Amino acid sequence: MEMIKLRDINKTYPGAVPLHVLKGINLDIAKGELVSIMGASGSGKSTLLNILGILDNYDTGEYILNGQLIRNLSENRAAELRNRLIGFVFQSFNLISYKNAIENVALPLFYQGVSRKKRNLLAMEQLDRMGLADRAHHLPGELSGGQKQRVAIARSLITNPSVILADEPTGALDSRTSADVMEIFRQLNVDAGMTIVIVTHDPKVGEQTNRIIRISDGLIVN
Amino acid sequence: MFDLISEIGQTLSNNKLRTALTGFAVAWGIFMLIVLLGMSRGVVNSFNDSRMSQGSNSISVWGGLTSMPYNGYKDGRYIGLKQDDMGVIKSKNRSDVANVIGNLSGSANITTPHDYITTGYNGVFPSELPSRGDKITVGRNINDADINQSRKVVILTEKNAAILFPNTKPEDVIGKRVSLNDLSFVVIGLINPEFGQATYIPFSTARMLASNSDTVDELKIEVGDISTMEEGEQMEQGVRNTLSEIHNFSPDDKKAVWIWNRFTQHMTMDRALSILDIVVWLIGIFTMLSGIIGVSNIMFVSVKERTHEIGIRRAIGAKPRNILVQILTESIAITTLFGYIGVFLGILVTQGLAFAFKDTDFIKDPTVDISIAIKVTFVLVVAGCLAGLFPALKALKVKPVEALRDE
Repeated sequence: MEMIKLRDINKTYPGAVPLHVLKGINLDIAKGELVSIMGASGSGKSTLLNILGILDNYDTGEYILNGQLIRNLSENRAAELRNRLIGFVFQSFNLISYKNAIENVALPLFYQGVSRKKRNLLAMEQLDRMGLADRAHHLPGELSGGQKQRVAIARSLITNPSVILADEPTGALDSRTSADVMEIFRQLNVDAGMTIVIVTHDPKVGEQTNRIIRISDGLIVN
Repeated sequence: MFDLISEIGQTLSNNKLRTALTGFAVAWGIFMLIVLLGMSRGVVNSFNDSRMSQGSNSISVWGGLTSMPYNGYKDGRYIGLKQDDMGVIKSKNRSDVANVIGNLSGSANITTPHDYITTGYNGVFPSELPSRGDKITVGRNINDADINQSRKVVILTEKNAAILFPNTKPEDVIGKRVSLNDLSFVVIGLINPEFGQATYIPFSTARMLASNSDTVDELKIEVGDISTMEEGEQMEQGVRNTLSEIHNFSPDDKKAVWIWNRFTQHMTMDRALSILDIVVWLIGIFTMLSGIIGVSNIMFVSVKERTHEIGIRRAIGAKPRNILVQILTESIAITTLFGYIGVFLGILVTQGLAFAFKDTDFIKDPTVDISIAIKVTFVLVVAGCLAGLFPALKALKVKPVEALRDE
């Protein structure tokens, strides 16, 4: 079953010189796949990630996520789908600095209207899964880079999303912790059958995924 | 709701100094508003108080010197009021005038076996004391029978009574005799006026004491069924016209008789007081406005600083409404929290002023009541909304893509 289905996606940024970034992307990612998207800077991989993450719109084509057509959504509907279907992991972790680990992990549930007690319980479960139960009440500033990324992964998992989108998840980490983080992704993929898409320019990261999708000049090249 | 509050608590305590400085501006604005309102209320209270004691429904007339020649008479002529004027004024201004009373004063030595006082007395009609706002504390007022029979009865102040009858309870003074200018008078009532120590006897008795003179020192015209400033002024001119016919002076001569129109004065004062109220609210609101602009500014900075954070929140599922509500409630929280600190301090200060001005006439009870507190709450919430509105709209423009941008 296809989790992500892209058909002839085009995206042009308007301007004095319109920039045609995505020139007809066709891509299928099955449920339970661990794939990486690689490409040089300017290849359009960030734009592709934005579209996959429902952070941005595309001009023409069709994007079906978990059987649902993603097109011309209202801001509210897009927010809701992001919240429920997608778990984001970012290069710079993107934790909220004045919230402790457990509050950061629980935040997506706050926007679902889950009660404080229940979301803290669920957040604690996820932190425990990441081996960070003892750091639950630490602020991000008191955690190491690897720990921060594990908190961020816990946050991405808490809504039980259909797909994890990771944008250069090891970009800000040293090689040892990078390996740890990739190990977590692999385990999530193997043990929980989680669909994971990692955008990276690091060949070592790409190697650890099941499939490498290369994008160049707005087109998939394989 | 609790979540929202703890969320706000976190963001505000995250920037303590900034929050405190902004809050100070708001607290100061509302503090000034409360103190100003309290002071103006004090002035209004004291005005109202002295107005009550004067009565606001009468016009007093005294004799004066003419300032312009008229009908062959030179200027500088003394115009004295006569007792007959009372009836004429009443009959010629029937529509406006409810009653006309006179006052014939003199000075008297009042003695008892214990002590004596020298005082001025006023020969008055029964309605004089009520129109002055003086209440009989013990005994009775002068009545029509006293006037008709020129009874030798007297109303004293409690203070004078205590001098004349030491060690006697006020109730026991009633019915006692005093000697007034060597004539025996019966004390019928006591008053406790705020100002002065006047003694009152029946008008006709005073006339007798003045050797049946037909003069009168003061005419007091009690106004009838009129309600506007213009009617009040017309009535004053009507009285002047009537007197000018009787006493042969120009109706335009403002100095021939002195007229104190308490009715129009009352209305002018009412207007002045409502203007005072408006001015105070304006000053207070403009002071507050600078506080609000401060909050708005801070919220703008805060939104700018948190663009990335807002982007993250949007990316993980915050709807635009969530962001709007968060910024607005933050703004309302700052304004109301610090606003109430200002209200609290303001009330403390007005209470302090109330204590300090306790014995003066200028300011009386300069405090604000609960309705002001409710109005202030309303103003604060509206102010908070206004202050947060534009920053919140700016925050709404933050796209979730911001989350992917590196700081």
